[in-house]
Amino acid sequence: MNRVPEQVRLRLPGGFHLPPFGIHQLLAAVIVCVALWTLGLGWLGLQAADQWVGSWQDEFTVHVYLDVNKASQRHALEQELQDIDGVASVSLIEPGSAARQMQTWIRDIGLDEQALAAHLPWTFELRLHPQEEHAFLYEDIRDAAHRHQAEVNESEMALASAQRWLDQIRLAAGFATLVLGLAMMLIISNALRMTLLARADEIHLMRLLGAREWFVRMPFILEGLVVGAGAGGVAWVLLWPMIALASDWLDNLGLGLHPWGMLFPLLIGGMVVGGLGAALATMNIMSGEQRLNTSA
Amino acid sequence: MIEAERLMLRYPTGKVALSGVSLRIEPGEFVYLTGESGAGKSSLLRLIYGGVRPTSGSMRVHGLDMRQVKETKVRELRRRIGIVFQDHKLLFSRTVFENVALPLRVQGWTTERLIPRVRKVLEYVGLADRLWAYPEALSGGEQQRVAIARAMTANPPLLLADEPTGNLDIDTARLVLDYLVGLNRQGTTVIMSTHDLHLLESHPARIVQLHAGALVGGAA
Repeated sequence: MNRVPEQVRLRLPGGFHLPPFGIHQLLAAVIVCVALWTLGLGWLGLQAADQWVGSWQDEFTVHVYLDVNKASQRHALEQELQDIDGVASVSLIEPGSAARQMQTWIRDIGLDEQALAAHLPWTFELRLHPQEEHAFLYEDIRDAAHRHQAEVNESEMALASAQRWLDQIRLAAGFATLVLGLAMMLIISNALRMTLLARADEIHLMRLLGAREWFVRMPFILEGLVVGAGAGGVAWVLLWPMIALASDWLDNLGLGLHPWGMLFPLLIGGMVVGGLGAALATMNIMSGEQRLNTSA
Repeated sequence: MIEAERLMLRYPTGKVALSGVSLRIEPGEFVYLTGESGAGKSSLLRLIYGGVRPTSGSMRVHGLDMRQVKETKVRELRRRIGIVFQDHKLLFSRTVFENVALPLRVQGWTTERLIPRVRKVLEYVGLADRLWAYPEALSGGEQQRVAIARAMTANPPLLLADEPTGNLDIDTARLVLDYLVGLNRQGTTVIMSTHDLHLLESHPARIVQLHAGALVGGAA
């Protein structure tokens, strides 16, 4: 007698009861999910780049090559390279030694070691201090090499400056996260605002019946949290196929990504933007009579 | 108890809805508010439940000064007042049960506790069999009875009814008034605005008459 029939689903408004989920909330959830997924991929990419750079930057070397015909300049160049701020040490590898090493690496191909040495340059191996900031380190190395008509291994130079680029990219990613977070908050706020407008009569009635403000607003705050957390959860799940697609490439580079580490940031991030969006949407919901009293 | 002294209400538009109204309503009374359209009946009811604040003069409802009272206190007061609106203000996307349960929900009742109470009040207004129907499936008279059930479900000591019989035929209007009189006999103070003068003859009670925002009879 005092039970709700099985076919009836009670939808009592207010308090900790979620309002019905409609198309506006679904669209907001999809948009926020895509934004969070993009951010998740971006930060995972940075994680990969950090691993890649970090794997060789602890003991990073740059090579400078001096033609064998200019051997007389090798001591002057060595001294100049040694004097550059940020260069930890300079090792000189003579062509004969280089030829022996190559012969050791590439076995059984019948190279004449002396003939090979005659074609190899003098090699300067520079160990750098990558953790320290030396504004003109790479420019100074290039200048010193060019003064003696030596060549710098530009591929190594590009890799050496990667950390600087990564720092810049990390800053840009932080800024993009902030901007996208704000945009996601506004999207959820807008979706909830439409729900609030659609339920204006219900809100007005609850206030007329004496409902406390938290009781009126709580369903919408909860809805914002659920939309945000749901979008964050789905965005995290959608990271896995992308990682699976890139697995061969990651394996080749010896990188191991940790998408589990993104679960908490995406869920909490989603909840934060959802909660803030809901708070923004419900900040100023006034019923007609409240407006009368405010302006009176 | 409701006390008003030289009460004035002016809306932001500049329209003076009530002017110099002094009134006293004791607990347990049944009071008709009468007067032409725009006389200030609905405005007086709004002042009582805190929908608008007096511009000048004084008004006390259940001991609260309605000019100074904070919004949180107004909400508390409303939980002790049942209101029947002329346009019902029923939620058409909710069932009869959900509509009637709303005041109890607002007061924090659990679903298990409010089901028997909602059943009881709907039995009182003769709608026990329409518990799970939607308001749009009900006639105008039935909708008004749902509105009365919602107003009385929390057992408030004061019930305000703003022209509850305005859109009803004479027989249905009498039936609705029977319910209100019945509630009054159980101790509820009922204040009902109306311009159906024939009801005053069939259900006699104290009449407070308003004209152009001023009290012209029944003040004491």
